[in-house]
Amino acid sequence: MRRNPHAWLNWALPLITVVAVLAFWQAITVGGIVSPAQFPTMSDTMGALAGEVASGRVWPAIGATLIGWLIGMVITIVLGLIIGTALAFNGFAQRSAAPVIEIFKAIPAIAILPLVILVAGSTLPMKVFLVCFAAFWPFLIQVIYGVRSMDPIVLDTARALGIRGARRFLAISIPSSSPYLVTGMRIASAQALILCIVAEIVGGAAGIGRNILLAQNSGVVAYPTMYAYIIVAGILGVALTGAFFLLEKRVMHWHESQRNIRASNVVGAA
Amino acid sequence: MTRVTTSLVPTVRPRRAKSGLRRLGQVLTPVWLPLLLIAVWWFATANSTSPFFPPLGDILVDTWNQWVVFGAWTNAVVSVRNLLIGYVFGTLIGIIGGSLLWRLRYLRVAMNPIIYFLYVLPAPALLPAMIAIFGIGDMRQIALIALGSIWPTLLNTLDGMRGVDTVKFDTAKALRLGGWRTYFRLVLPGAGPQIAAGLRASLTVGIVLMVVSEMVAANSGIGFFILQAQAEFAIKKMWTGILVLALIGTVLNYLFVFVERRALRWYYRSRALGSS
Repeated sequence: MRRNPHAWLNWALPLITVVAVLAFWQAITVGGIVSPAQFPTMSDTMGALAGEVASGRVWPAIGATLIGWLIGMVITIVLGLIIGTALAFNGFAQRSAAPVIEIFKAIPAIAILPLVILVAGSTLPMKVFLVCFAAFWPFLIQVIYGVRSMDPIVLDTARALGIRGARRFLAISIPSSSPYLVTGMRIASAQALILCIVAEIVGGAAGIGRNILLAQNSGVVAYPTMYAYIIVAGILGVALTGAFFLLEKRVMHWHESQRNIRASNVVGAA
Repeated sequence: MTRVTTSLVPTVRPRRAKSGLRRLGQVLTPVWLPLLLIAVWWFATANSTSPFFPPLGDILVDTWNQWVVFGAWTNAVVSVRNLLIGYVFGTLIGIIGGSLLWRLRYLRVAMNPIIYFLYVLPAPALLPAMIAIFGIGDMRQIALIALGSIWPTLLNTLDGMRGVDTVKFDTAKALRLGGWRTYFRLVLPGAGPQIAAGLRASLTVGIVLMVVSEMVAANSGIGFFILQAQAEFAIKKMWTGILVLALIGTVLNYLFVFVERRALRWYYRSRALGSS
């Protein structure tokens, strides 16, 4: 393997940028270009973040958001796999269901948020229902596409070997369509996290979103705390999406798009 | 990420059936289930006394009264206007930014963590910060929508451009296409399908942000209307808002698919040829 003289840039450049952005944030807030009433300084925000972590207040918020995300995702994935596979194997059912799926996917999940709040209150079931409503439709579409893209030879082989029913579902359908499924899960996960935060900000359910809004409501003094929780929300997003990206890379490493991206990721390769 | 599918609507027109009965079947297949669901909704709530689920007929009558007779439609106009302005700004920044990052390899490596963070950060979490910065008003709505819709478009533009086959660049070089012509003739169309997927994701995010920001702090707009009705416990009025919002979301999405099909007709056609 040829040694790349610029390889160190791959980790040094991102690091430098992050430090530079943080320094820039500190400079404009301390320098008075942006008033502290609008934007707290970086050091105050990091201090607030450290304070929230040290006092332990941050963990229940993360837990409340994550549990809503998790339950919603599990329901979405189980229902999506079963219904999606069933629809993909039957042309008539799929053509009949397509417009319904399209319409429900187009309805923004927050449209029904006030109704769900009235029926269920500011509770975990409210959050889970919204998460499912937002994440289910995009995932379902990916499942249908994934199962339909299966190699017909694989299906014929399975039929010849007498594999059917639940075993076909678990041993043939799911592995064959896994690249689509993982992508669908990543999309659903992003939607689910957004809806968790929305349910907390608008619906007042416990979690990171509610803490952000509470901090904003308690005035300028609490602004560092507000940004601290926004950063926490971002870190949560990085962790969840990153996990699905890794999974995607593992199951799709043979795919052409991944090869091109890997090749062009290397600095100074061309 | 080429496996992101945007729509279930068939991209290839089905072959015309020969017999009349077959044709009738083709027309009825996509229609019967939505009609059945609406009918079920209608009859299940026809004599409903539940405060949360008023009869569908009453909701429809009330929708006409609230939105046309009493003039609530101005709320919808304000919402959609803010959405469109923010969306156009955000996606333009996304496409231009994505192109720049594609061209400038070092910038891409450098900016990667920042962009990734902003992309995965759930955009509604920024809402309270935007209230603090911009106050309450249309400016804040537009800024938030624009900020949220940048990232899906930007990342999809970048991925799409990086996915363009290297052989095609060699061809462009052999044909002595200049830098800009290579960009407009090869890179932009080549990334087109993926950019469209990004634009659609941005639209979804934009609609969510539009409604959320109106629900939390605003004095006009469709989200404001719905939450106001909910606070007054005017359930029927709230349902009319939900119905109108659902209608707006559906219409915008179908409009998007329509434009996408037009703009990417060459792509769908070549794909249909390849699969047959």
